[in-house]
Amino acid sequence: MEVLYFLVPLALLLAVGSVLAFRWATRHDQFDDLDSPAVRILNDD
Amino acid sequence: MKTVPCAHCGQKTTSDADPAFCCSGCETVYHTIHSAGFAQYYELGRGERAPSAVKTDAAFDSDTFKDSIRTLPDGTCEAALFVDGVHCAACVWLVERMPTAVEGVVESRLNMSRGRLELRWQPDKVSVPDMAVWLTQFGYSAHPLHRADAARGTAERQSLFRIGVAWTVAMNVMLMAVALYSGLDTSLETGLATAARWASMGLAAISVFWAGSEFYRRAWASMRPFRGLQHLSIDVPITIGIWAGFLHSVWATVSGNGEVWFDSISVLIAALLSARWLQRRGTRMATESAQRLLALLPSTARRVDGDEVIEVPVASLAAGHVVEVRAGDVVPADGIVVQGHSALHRAVITGESRPEDVTEGSLVSAGETNVSAPILLRVTAAGPESRLGKILSWVESATVRRAPVVQKADWLSGWFVLAVLLASLITFIAWSFIDTGLALEHTIALLVISCPCALGMATPLALTVAMGRAARKGIFIKYDDVLERMEQVDVVVFDKTGTLTHGVLEVAAVVGAREAVLMAAAVEAQSTHPVARALVSYAQSSGQGAERAQDVTEVAGSGMSGIVKGRFVEVGRPAWLGVDEAELAPFVANGQSPVAIRIDGEVVALLGVGDVIRDESASVLNVLRARGARPVILSGDHPEVAASVGATLGFAAADVMGGQSPEQKLAYIEHLREQGHVVAMIGDGVNDAASLSAADVGIAIQGGTDLNLVAADVFLTRSGLEPLQHLFGVSDAALQTVRRNLGISLIYNVITITLAALGFVTPLLAAVLMPISSLVVVFSSLVQRSATRPEAKRTTHAHNVPVSARAATQE
Repeated sequence: MEVLYFLVPLALLLAVGSVLAFRWATRHDQFDDLDSPAVRILNDD
Repeated sequence: MKTVPCAHCGQKTTSDADPAFCCSGCETVYHTIHSAGFAQYYELGRGERAPSAVKTDAAFDSDTFKDSIRTLPDGTCEAALFVDGVHCAACVWLVERMPTAVEGVVESRLNMSRGRLELRWQPDKVSVPDMAVWLTQFGYSAHPLHRADAARGTAERQSLFRIGVAWTVAMNVMLMAVALYSGLDTSLETGLATAARWASMGLAAISVFWAGSEFYRRAWASMRPFRGLQHLSIDVPITIGIWAGFLHSVWATVSGNGEVWFDSISVLIAALLSARWLQRRGTRMATESAQRLLALLPSTARRVDGDEVIEVPVASLAAGHVVEVRAGDVVPADGIVVQGHSALHRAVITGESRPEDVTEGSLVSAGETNVSAPILLRVTAAGPESRLGKILSWVESATVRRAPVVQKADWLSGWFVLAVLLASLITFIAWSFIDTGLALEHTIALLVISCPCALGMATPLALTVAMGRAARKGIFIKYDDVLERMEQVDVVVFDKTGTLTHGVLEVAAVVGAREAVLMAAAVEAQSTHPVARALVSYAQSSGQGAERAQDVTEVAGSGMSGIVKGRFVEVGRPAWLGVDEAELAPFVANGQSPVAIRIDGEVVALLGVGDVIRDESASVLNVLRARGARPVILSGDHPEVAASVGATLGFAAADVMGGQSPEQKLAYIEHLREQGHVVAMIGDGVNDAASLSAADVGIAIQGGTDLNLVAADVFLTRSGLEPLQHLFGVSDAALQTVRRNLGISLIYNVITITLAALGFVTPLLAAVLMPISSLVVVFSSLVQRSATRPEAKRTTHAHNVPVSARAATQE
């Protein structure tokens, strides 16, 4: 069970990683517009 | 070769062909539409088209956009504009093509759902007004975006991030809590249990100190100054609950005995933050559409200064100025006509579907459209002082006031948290006397098994699911409390124009020679007057080849004349053509406007022009009556017109009021509300905006103006009244689900808490039951009875027949 002392902090580190990724996404307007990209892909160029 | 309008686009072209086209593109489209059986498109499209408030040749005032421009380090400028009229992939493509078409534009990015265009350009090569004019060419009108909006965007991003962090924390704490509840703390691994508690505490602290801080701030704001318990906001019990739970758990962690409750606290914070965010986003969308209202007024006006006419920004107009309003223009300010006479389309202010004649001395209001001849007017009030300005500010203030909906579920879960804490305290004390060894275990079980999330989620989840379903049926609900209020509605107020009727004039009755109508239609072919359009579409639908008219002249305010097949044809007001009042009585009684046709000096035909009732109006009204809601007509139309529609649809005479000004409508709705009625108002004109806000539920119908979208709580994007029926169905289904959810979670909590307090539940069982209760509520919300169309018992009522069909039998 001692392995948990290593695995739980590792899991938490992963969580911190995903929070940082989420922060990047919100700061870069990734959630601002959820409709236009879907139609923009129809444009050829 | 003759000059005729293109059969598809209406643009003038020279051709002998019939139908005539201006280009092969139009011809292809025309034949495609016809071969697909969609010829009705032309009737609809050629009906009275709402004149665009944006002038294509308008000199856009660069000051209008000045506030929103930002200069970047590389010398380019950047600004965000609102663009009206973008709906599809093609719009996105076209607008984003701007850099290739306009020199100096570096980048153009369109957010379709919000109608927001981000532009970057080189200021030495191109200016915002140039770009706005380019957009206007394609039918997209651009408006400046206010600074406050950018700030709001940042705040929204902040709270989205908070939600992300709060959920991450909540889920991780939850994992450890499950381990603890399933016996980690009673096992031999005491070291692990302690570690898990400390880790949970560290994680929960992030939620409690940072993510949840807005609750404490608002709770504190509602407590200072203290005005009594009923003035406390829902944030107060939430704050107390969070902190009581947190401090208790911290003490338990530090001292090494007692129970921790970090998981529930962090889930609570995350759930509440999500609910608030959804709410705030709804408010933001409402305010955004408020900004598009600017489109109701032109940005420039033609001011007459001595002998010359100069284009000036509308904002610079003041009382006393004389302005020229050309045919097709929108009146820029309130004023008195000093020269010329014309017909004005005033639906925007009065809701009257027929244009009204104005002459010297008539009062006109900003926002009305001049349909026939140029007039000069002396400004009496401009900008916010004008009638339109006042209606706008009224609506805006009302939007701000009512937006934050008090969430009953928030309130409930706040007190629930406190109640559970109290119950656990009592349980602990009671069991300490009975059996000290079991006290701790029973208290944990109670804390774990109680589920504030099920309670907190029951209402918002059910309402959100219902709103999503409604949206798929073309019903957009802005505030979720509307669903709750819909059920109590006992008076439904209709604005007749465009809601019960089609809102487009049609020839409803013909007395006299039919051929005369075709000849009259030829005379009217070039006119934009709605009555003329009605004649033309009537002639087209009769399927006979169009005649050509020569020497067409318009007598403003009276009618038109021209020569058709060598005969002199005059069409216009019966009084102008010398028709006796008495002959017009049947038309007036049916609520139609009479029109006379005189050929070679002899009156040969009389027409009744009126608005046609929508087919489904009668059945929708029956559904309403069956629910116990009293339908009322409150219309700006002529009293006879309103009375005729009311009588056709079976309204009580007292419930039909015509000739109502916006102020009277507002007063009437407030009067109804004072009497204790719950009022739903359905309307489509700007004149209804104030009333829509005043009503308990304001419903705007597509084809209405943007102002209504702001004022209304609900808007229906499908035409007709059937969506209204769906709306009632959706709200019934949603409320049923809410009650079921609240019932499930209350019964669950009462039973399990009692059992736990009495010592029948082990912590492990509690840990299993808690998520199950949440899942039950989620499942119950998702499978709510889909709002099936209450399939109208479409009995064929006599009054289901449109007015026109009925009147036509009079021939």
